[in-house]
Amino acid sequence: MNAMKTRKIIVSLILLGPALMIFAQDLTPKEIIRKADEKFNGEKTSTSIMAMTIVRPTWERTIEFKNWTSGREYSLTLINSPAKDKGQSFLKRQQEMWSWNPTISRLIKLPPSMMSQGWMGSDYTNDDILKESSVVNDYDHQIVGEEEYDGRLCYKIKMVAKEDAAVIWGHQVRWIDKKDFLFLKSELYDEDAYLVRTELGSKIKTMDGRLIPTMIELIPAEEENQKTIIEIKEIRFNQEIKDSFFSQQNMKRIR
Amino acid sequence: MNNLILAWRNLWRNRRRTMITSASVLFAVFFALLFRSLQLGSYDHMFRNAIESYTGYIQVQHKDFWDEKIVDNTFAYDSQKEQQLLSDENVIAAIPRFESFALASNGPQTKGVLVMGVVPEKEVHLSKVTDKMVKYRLTSESIEMIKQDPNISEKIKELAPLFENTAYTTASRLQLDLGISDKDASKYMPALERFAQFENGSIRMGEPGVWVGDKLSQYLQLGIGDTIVLISQGYHATTAAGKYEIKGIVKLPLPDLDNKIVYLPLDVCQGLYNAEDMLTSLALAVEDNDDKVIAETVERLGAVVSEDQKVMEWREMNEVMVSQMDADDKSGMIMIGILYLVIAFGVFGTVLMLTAERKREFGVLVAIGMQKKKLASIMTLEMLLIGLLGILAGAAVATVLILYGVEHPLIFKGEMAKMFEEYGMEPKMVFWGIDSYYIWQIVIVALMVFLAIGYPIRKIFGMKVVNALRA
Repeated sequence: MNAMKTRKIIVSLILLGPALMIFAQDLTPKEIIRKADEKFNGEKTSTSIMAMTIVRPTWERTIEFKNWTSGREYSLTLINSPAKDKGQSFLKRQQEMWSWNPTISRLIKLPPSMMSQGWMGSDYTNDDILKESSVVNDYDHQIVGEEEYDGRLCYKIKMVAKEDAAVIWGHQVRWIDKKDFLFLKSELYDEDAYLVRTELGSKIKTMDGRLIPTMIELIPAEEENQKTIIEIKEIRFNQEIKDSFFSQQNMKRIR
Repeated sequence: MNNLILAWRNLWRNRRRTMITSASVLFAVFFALLFRSLQLGSYDHMFRNAIESYTGYIQVQHKDFWDEKIVDNTFAYDSQKEQQLLSDENVIAAIPRFESFALASNGPQTKGVLVMGVVPEKEVHLSKVTDKMVKYRLTSESIEMIKQDPNISEKIKELAPLFENTAYTTASRLQLDLGISDKDASKYMPALERFAQFENGSIRMGEPGVWVGDKLSQYLQLGIGDTIVLISQGYHATTAAGKYEIKGIVKLPLPDLDNKIVYLPLDVCQGLYNAEDMLTSLALAVEDNDDKVIAETVERLGAVVSEDQKVMEWREMNEVMVSQMDADDKSGMIMIGILYLVIAFGVFGTVLMLTAERKREFGVLVAIGMQKKKLASIMTLEMLLIGLLGILAGAAVATVLILYGVEHPLIFKGEMAKMFEEYGMEPKMVFWGIDSYYIWQIVIVALMVFLAIGYPIRKIFGMKVVNALRA
């Protein structure tokens, strides 16, 4: 009896095992997005040093900054260079954003009218930062195919914004590496289904034990010879940061 | 010749009639001239204000600056180019400027402002901003001091509070507002000037400090020594932010500009926008500002400037004002047209009466053998003489007034002045000197007289002597 049972289990394991494995491989599109998102942003917090290069037809400029984030709700950014901009900080708390400028000792709450303007003159708008909505929860996901991008096999996932979600994009198409769950390419469309911008991930490296693209290029569709490149120089995930860290006082204090 | 003598005598046979007829012509000429003179003079004054306190007659700019006024559309200062520009026969001085927009704030008050980086010494050639510094201000303290001074008349004490916080760039304007005659000026003005004294500091290259427009300073509730905060976007999308001490207050004749101007020393302004050595414009002071000469100068300079620059003329830079003036000019012409119409009927009316009155006389003259042709020519001469008399007298009276007016423009005060300022105009009406418009007004009035002559002539030729004798 006992032996029978054991054998049955073994048989069923042998039979079911591959099936389970297949099931594990065959993630839902939502799962894929979640994995890729968490990989990049950290499950809880992240601390990073980045360089942003703004490329324009006649000039380009690089800004270096330090960035602390906690979930989607909180983030604090401190500009380190160039010297003229050094010490400026930006705080995001939920749906609000403040900027601190040490040269004039002013704390300014960004008004709605400034939301569509580029952050520090880049192609990244203040709205992008604020309404950086959850790519997991605010969209309906659907795998539309598999494509090779930059030598890596990717899931091609179409994400359509949910009716009631406060998002700025109508839909997105994302290419996600099948093996390592990396956002390699994203196309962002407005509600009229016009391509607004393309984001490309490259320079895949291991940082703080994770394999992530360390260079992100942001290419607006309408503007020629214009883009913004963000390079991650250092990043640490899931370090302890209290919510009280993201305060107006800290904006002025932080170095 | 005989005809002329006859006509002349006829004129004075009935003096009153002649006087009335020529008076109507006189008024036509007088009003048309005065109206036109004021209109032309005021336009010119407004343009001059706009040009001289802001744009200048000619500017060299980056080719895209006018269409998109951002600090990225600037050009690097080049002393060699400047020398080339200055070598032009019509260019006196080149005034480097850096202008942009910024948010200015003081505490909770914030306003969008026009930031102008200037070399104060060079502005002497064009905007003469140093002459526009506020010299007197009737603050509540100074009004208190006026009230307590026993030597000052009651009338002034009554008037002063009406002008509380008004700024003055000249003592004469203060005198005018307080209703002090030139005779009393020496008695009251020294004390008043002392009470209302307003101390300004200067801005110098290399020293952070600003001058702000009077209206702007009032809006932001800023005074000398206070700090103004400017924030904007600088060159290549950098952050431009700075705190500056207010050194002085200017009162510009254009209220629109006075409301938003902030002057900074050029190099400080370039530093604020992170655009060292860059200029948004090089304003040129010219020797001769005649339209044609300016156009020629612009063409000559066009060959001198580099490829990414362009030369702009004041008309292009003040497009809104030019079209506004054009529209106003047209409505002014319609007004004058109506004036002419009224006056033409007046002249015609008197001629009609005159003809009716003299019907019997004409009849008698023809009955005793005078040729109708001769009668008609005498009549024509009479009318021409009346017209000439009216035109000459009208022009003479108008000339006296206009010549006086050129020297003494109409300056409005009190409520009237406020009304003008609300329309964005300086409360001042200026006359235009004697010019080609004189000829036009005179020709038009003369034409009206000619038309009026037609009536008596037709009457004379169509006259039935028998009927006329019975009249």
